[in-house]
Amino acid sequence: MLRLAVARSARGAGQGFTGAARGQWTSQWLQQPIRRTLADARAPDKTILPGSQSATTAGVPQPPVMATATTNPTAAEIPPTQVPQTPPTPEEVGAVAKAATNTAANVAANAIASNIPPTGADKAGSEQSAPPPPPPKPRRRIRKFLTTLIVLSALGYGGGVYYSLISDNFHDFFTEYVPYGEDAVAYFEDREFRKRFPSKEYSAKTWPQTRGENKVTIPRSSGLTPRVAEEGDSKSKAPVATPKKAADVKLSAPATQEPKDVAKAAAPVKPIDHINVEQATEPAVQNLVKMVNNVITAINASPESARFQPVVENLKGDLSNAISAIGSLKEQHIHDAETQIQNAHSEFDEAAKELVRRLESQMREQEAHWREEYEKERQTLSEGYRQRLSAELEAAEKVFESKRKNALLQQEISLQKQYMDTVKAKVEEERSGRLSKLDELSSSVSELERLTSEWNSVVDATLQTQHLQIAVEAVKAKVLQSEYPTPFLNELVALKEVSGDDEVVNAAIASINPLAYQRGISSAAHLIDRFRRVASEVRKASLLPEDAGVASHAASAVLSRFMFQKRSDRGFPEGDDVEATLARTEVLLEEGDLDAAAREMNGLKGWANVLSRDWVSECRRVLEVKQAVDVIATEARLKSLLVD
Amino acid sequence: MADQSSSTNPAAAPVRSARPMSEALLNEKWDHCLSTLLIRSTIGAGFGVIFSVLLFKRRAFPVWAGLGFGAGRAWEECDSSFKRASAPSRDGLRVLRS
Repeated sequence: MLRLAVARSARGAGQGFTGAARGQWTSQWLQQPIRRTLADARAPDKTILPGSQSATTAGVPQPPVMATATTNPTAAEIPPTQVPQTPPTPEEVGAVAKAATNTAANVAANAIASNIPPTGADKAGSEQSAPPPPPPKPRRRIRKFLTTLIVLSALGYGGGVYYSLISDNFHDFFTEYVPYGEDAVAYFEDREFRKRFPSKEYSAKTWPQTRGENKVTIPRSSGLTPRVAEEGDSKSKAPVATPKKAADVKLSAPATQEPKDVAKAAAPVKPIDHINVEQATEPAVQNLVKMVNNVITAINASPESARFQPVVENLKGDLSNAISAIGSLKEQHIHDAETQIQNAHSEFDEAAKELVRRLESQMREQEAHWREEYEKERQTLSEGYRQRLSAELEAAEKVFESKRKNALLQQEISLQKQYMDTVKAKVEEERSGRLSKLDELSSSVSELERLTSEWNSVVDATLQTQHLQIAVEAVKAKVLQSEYPTPFLNELVALKEVSGDDEVVNAAIASINPLAYQRGISSAAHLIDRFRRVASEVRKASLLPEDAGVASHAASAVLSRFMFQKRSDRGFPEGDDVEATLARTEVLLEEGDLDAAAREMNGLKGWANVLSRDWVSECRRVLEVKQAVDVIATEARLKSLLVD
Repeated sequence: MADQSSSTNPAAAPVRSARPMSEALLNEKWDHCLSTLLIRSTIGAGFGVIFSVLLFKRRAFPVWAGLGFGAGRAWEECDSSFKRASAPSRDGLRVLRS
């Protein structure tokens, strides 16, 4: 609208401007269809060469070769610089096409492709046939994409694992969000851990070292190992040793035995008797005899036993000699030993006796010493016990004495009490006998006092009632005889003070509205005057319906002026309407019946009641005050009657 | 008497100004209504004038429309105040809900 108005106002100002503006608008309008919008349909017969389109979009200027290529197939002349020396093989072309990812390379490929002599008649056909067959291309692209994707993801995964080994924060992220990331990281962490702590130490760690001592490693081969006992070996060894010794013994005396053997061999007929020695108790002798007997049996067995017979006899004799010598030697030795033993016995006996004597002397000394000590100890103990006994005896005596003293004191106290009681009883007897007349006197005096006080109270009560009546009169004068509202607070206070604790007066004063005695109450004339004003207002609102708005108020105010007023001089008006109520109230007021008038006005409803509320409350206040004053006056009269 | 009435009136005057006497309730409402009517219709007419100058080429009808709006608002307010006041007011009373 504004724009229209502005345009309209501007029309008068200058036509040229509008013309120019219109021209501009129209020119714009004309220019608009040139730009293609989305709503416009695309021209159907527009052919776009793929190469040319990509070149233009990339912003690369279209090569001049393109123009020649499009017009090439029919033209015979080709510039010598552009003629290829050798026609490119299809693989080369394909390779070039593969490598051409950017547009520039593509253009070059196109140029090369276009430079190939055309195979078909159509130039579009030549264009399409020039690049390598398209089917492998997408597959390879997919493969390349896949390989790059895999490589990148593997690199990223590896990098993530490595970085998570370094950074704890990233470790949390990686293990939580990357699938199998936790396993991978855990594997690497485990490996690192293994590298740092070899498995031996790792296994040793399973038993925690509680104290600081070094661990003792017990080698495997230590300790006891079970083994089967080799009995046969030890048995076989011993017999082996003994024959050897026998052989040595035999070899040690070869010279003597050689002739023996010869001799024994010489006497085969007569076997040599075995020697028999009576002193065969010695084991050495027995061995020797056994040896000789063996030799003799050997000689007897040999054929030349006869030859050796004398030698053997000699031998026997020597042997017996030697044996007898051994026996004598043995006896001598035994004898020596016995003598030595006897000597030793005697020595030992002496030494023992000496020892016993010494020990006895020592024991005697010890005994004497201990006896002395025992005596001392006994004396000290008996001393201690005696002292303790004496102390306890003293304590017991003291306790006994104190007890006795206490008993004595108690007895004394009881005696004194008895004495006091007897004295008191005596004194009481005396007093009751001689001073009983004084009591009578005092009782009569107190009776007299009571009488006088009663009379005093009577006088006080009369005074009080008098004061009360005076105060009531003052209040009455102030309240009822005044022409205008006057506060009568002071009079009421005086009245309350005079009345004292009279409940009736207090209740009557409490029933008076505070507003009444603070501001005073209005007189009857004042009330009637105010009623006139209120009546005119109420009359204005007498026609109002329930819930009246502005219109009904205005109507009521206007129409109530045309209503006939009910006159009270024609008798007491009947009815429930506002007019009748007002007329009745007026009559009652003129008669002086304030109570009934207030009741009448209180019976009004709606707006009339609202408007007359203040007047009614004022009437009520006046009535309250009047009633209270009446009550107090009656009370005062009653009191004055009660005094006598 | 004149002296005494003049001495008592100042004490009573503030109370009367705070709360109108009940018989003057309606008159007070009427005064308020009239003043509201005047103010609101003036404001409406002023808006009408402004609109007519700005938008409607100084035609007369916006002024009347604005006046009507203002007067209507005043009427409505007055009406509601009358209706509210017929019920006994509850100012300063405590409402006990059981």
